Amino acid sequence: MSEVSSILLAFMREAWLALAGAFLAFVLLACLAQVLRVSSASVLGANLWVWESVSALLSIVLIGLFAFIGIPQIVRALQSSLPNAGGCGPISELGTLASSLIGGLAALRMLRAAFTSVLSASIGGSSTFAKALIECAEAMFGMILMSAAIPLAAWFLGTC
Amino acid sequence: MFDPILQQILEIARDAWAFMAGLLIIVALLGGLYFVLQGTAGAAFGASRTTSMAIIGVVGLVIIVLFAFLFLPQVGDMLRKFQPAAPF
Repeated sequence: MSEVSSILLAFMREAWLALAGAFLAFVLLACLAQVLRVSSASVLGANLWVWESVSALLSIVLIGLFAFIGIPQIVRALQSSLPNAGGCGPISELGTLASSLIGGLAALRMLRAAFTSVLSASIGGSSTFAKALIECAEAMFGMILMSAAIPLAAWFLGTC
Repeated sequence: MFDPILQQILEIARDAWAFMAGLLIIVALLGGLYFVLQGTAGAAFGASRTTSMAIIGVVGLVIIVLFAFLFLPQVGDMLRKFQPAAPF
């Protein structure tokens, strides 16, 4: 069970690194696109467009900071709250596997949501950051739910 | 496993960065030319407000281009330093 867990976690770690690198590249491209929009709008004299682009630029930087600083802290905090050894025997191993996999999946899901919101912000979309935050909340809720479900399952199955 | 995919994405992103940086230079040059034309026309007709607005426009355009080429790479370096390892 631990070998399966380590293989799956290594796979997810590689996915995290790739997603974070692509996220960084797209943040910079989105910033440059917004600066291009600011320059063309200022030449045309479109004040509203300029301020929209400036606010989009700031929001992209904020999303980047949230993804790189906020998401790892949220995941670490939630993962420490997950009981990784509910009961003993197979249920304990299963609990350890489940808690580590849930943490990895939730982290990847949050980063993917931030990635989508950056892509959307780069083309002027407005509503997807709210969807990304909802996805983060869903992942957190799932982790909290699992923190209750693993001991309950151990108790229900009557192990230890 | 994901590294070749990331390398391809980064290559495309580098191309896109070069394209957009070139486009920004062209837009800034055209905008600067437009403001110069506006300023000279204003100066010729005695429209001091038009001329001063054109000068302000040129200065603003230069500031925007400098922001793009000096500030954005610094933001990228800062975010790269913040790039976290997998938290699980």
